[in-house]
Amino acid sequence: MSILHARQLSAGYGPVTVLHDIELVVEEGEIVVILGANGAGKTTTMRAVSGTIPRQGSVELNGHDITKLSPDAIVRQGVAQVPQGRGTFPELSVHDNLRAGAITRHDGSAAVAADMERWYGQFPRLAERKDQRAGSLSGGEQQMLAIARALMSRPKLLLCDEPSLGLAPLITQELFAVIERLNKEEGLSVLLVEQNANLAMHMASRVYLLETGRIVAEGSAEELSADDTIRKAYLGF
Amino acid sequence: MELFLQRLFDGLSQGSVYSLIALGLVIIYRGTGHLNFAQGEMALFCTYVVYQCGEWGIPLGIALPIGMLVGFVMGATVEVTLIRPIAKKSQFAVFIVTLGLFQFLNWLDGAIWKDQPLPNSGVGSSQQSFPSLFPNKPDDFVNVFGAAIKIQSIGVFALVIVLTGLLFLLFNRTKLGLSMNAVASNAESAKLVGIRTNLVLMMSWGIAAAIGALGGVVFAGINSNVNLGLMFSVFIYASAAATLGGFDSPGGAVLGGLIIGVIENMAAGYSDEWIGQELKVGVALVVILVVLLVKPSGLFGTAKVERV
Repeated sequence: MSILHARQLSAGYGPVTVLHDIELVVEEGEIVVILGANGAGKTTTMRAVSGTIPRQGSVELNGHDITKLSPDAIVRQGVAQVPQGRGTFPELSVHDNLRAGAITRHDGSAAVAADMERWYGQFPRLAERKDQRAGSLSGGEQQMLAIARALMSRPKLLLCDEPSLGLAPLITQELFAVIERLNKEEGLSVLLVEQNANLAMHMASRVYLLETGRIVAEGSAEELSADDTIRKAYLGF
Repeated sequence: MELFLQRLFDGLSQGSVYSLIALGLVIIYRGTGHLNFAQGEMALFCTYVVYQCGEWGIPLGIALPIGMLVGFVMGATVEVTLIRPIAKKSQFAVFIVTLGLFQFLNWLDGAIWKDQPLPNSGVGSSQQSFPSLFPNKPDDFVNVFGAAIKIQSIGVFALVIVLTGLLFLLFNRTKLGLSMNAVASNAESAKLVGIRTNLVLMMSWGIAAAIGALGGVVFAGINSNVNLGLMFSVFIYASAAATLGGFDSPGGAVLGGLIIGVIENMAAGYSDEWIGQELKVGVALVVILVVLLVKPSGLFGTAKVERV
C-alpha cells in the first residue's frame, strides 16, 4: 500500500484552478521529487496534499481517506510539512519552535527531549542558537529549523516545499544529505518539490514533471534524464 | 511619607484591576490581533452575575468561580459565533462587532439589573455591599512604616501577582501556552505543526473573559457596588496599560496596569489643583500618547524581528 495516493487532485485559488486532475503516489520509503518551472503548480500541489487550500479529488494516507481532514488533523495523521519560505515562528526561541513541532506527540517528554538532542546534534548551528528568536536566524538556519521542527513530530511522510529556495548551494547540499540519510536510515518517506533539478534528481526514487498544473512525465531519475527532450527542457544539461 | 505609601498602595490595588482587564486585552490581541472593545463590558456582565448569586445566598467563594465560568463560556461563544466568521470576511469589521457587543452587553445589563448601583436596599437587595474578596471593614488596616494600608489593597495586589505567576506557567510550561504563543507568532505555521488553531483562539477568548470577570468582581469589591458605568474608565486605563506594557506581552500588561494605577493616584493626589479627580482619566490618554510616540511597541512588546 502506498503511503500517499492522490487521485484526480484539482485545486486552485478562488475561481482559478491551478492543478488539474493529477495522480500522485508516494510508496513507503521513497523520495519522490516533483519538478517544474515557476508557476507549474508545485506549491499548489503541496498545499492540496496538506489541506491548506480547497481541493477536489481524493487524497489517501496509508489507505485512509484524508481529503476531508483539516490541515492540523492531517499533521496528526503523520504528515509533516516544511512550507515554502520556511514558516518558522519568528518570535519564539529556536527551542520553542522545536517544542511546537512535537506538540502532537503523546509519547512523553523524555522521548521528545531525546529527539530534540538528536536534531541539535544533526544541526549544531541550531544548538548554538537554541535560546535565540527564530526570526533572527539566517535563511539557511531557518530552513534547518523548519526541517528539524517538522521532524520533531516523527512524521511518516515529510513534505518539503523548495527547501533550496534562497540558500547557498553548499547549504542546500547539506540539507539534502540530511534528508537522504533520514530516508535511508529510518525509511522516512519524502515528497519534495524542487526547481533545483540537478541536486534533487540525485536522491529521487521517482520524479514527476509538472507543467501548467498537469503531470507531463513520470519515472525514475535515470529514465527522465535519459529522455533527451525532457533533459534539455527541464534539467538543462 | 505615610501619604505617599497610602497613595502607592491605593494605586497598586486600582492598578491591579487595570492589569486584569489589560491581561484579557493582551491575550486576545496575541491570538487574533484584535482589540476587544467589549472586554470591560464582558467583565461587567459577569460581575452582575456574581452580585445576583449573592442575592441568591451563594457565598463569594462559589459565586466568583461561577462568574469566571460564565465569563469563560461567554468569551468562547463570542469568538466562535461572532468573531471567527466575521474575521474571515474582514478584519476591520471585527472592530465594529466588538464595539457593538460593548453596547449590547451594557444594554442587556441595564435591562436585567436596571440603572442603579447594586446592592441597593431601595430595590430590596439583601446584601449590604458588593462582596469583597478581602477584609474591607473600616478597621481592616495594617501599619506599614506609619502608613495605614488597607488589607484589601494588599490582598488585591497579591492576587494579581499570583495570577501573573500562574499565567507565566501557562504560557511557558504547558502545551496550551505553547500553542497560544505559536498561533500568536504565525497562525498558518501553527496549523502545519498540527495545532488546532480554532480551539486555541476559543480558549484564548475564554481565558481572557474569565480573567476580566475576576477584575470586575475585584473592582466592584473595592467600589462596594456594581453599576452600568463601572468599567468605562477601567477599560480606558486598561487600554493604556496594555499600550504601555506592549500589546503582546502579558507581563507587560500587568506591570503597565500597576504603573498606570500608581500614576493616576499620584497625579490626582499630588496635583489636586489642576488634575484632581475629574481630569485623571486624561492621565491615561497622555500615557498612551507618549508611549505611542516614544516606544510604539510598549515596554515589553516585541518589535517584529525578521531577517530575510
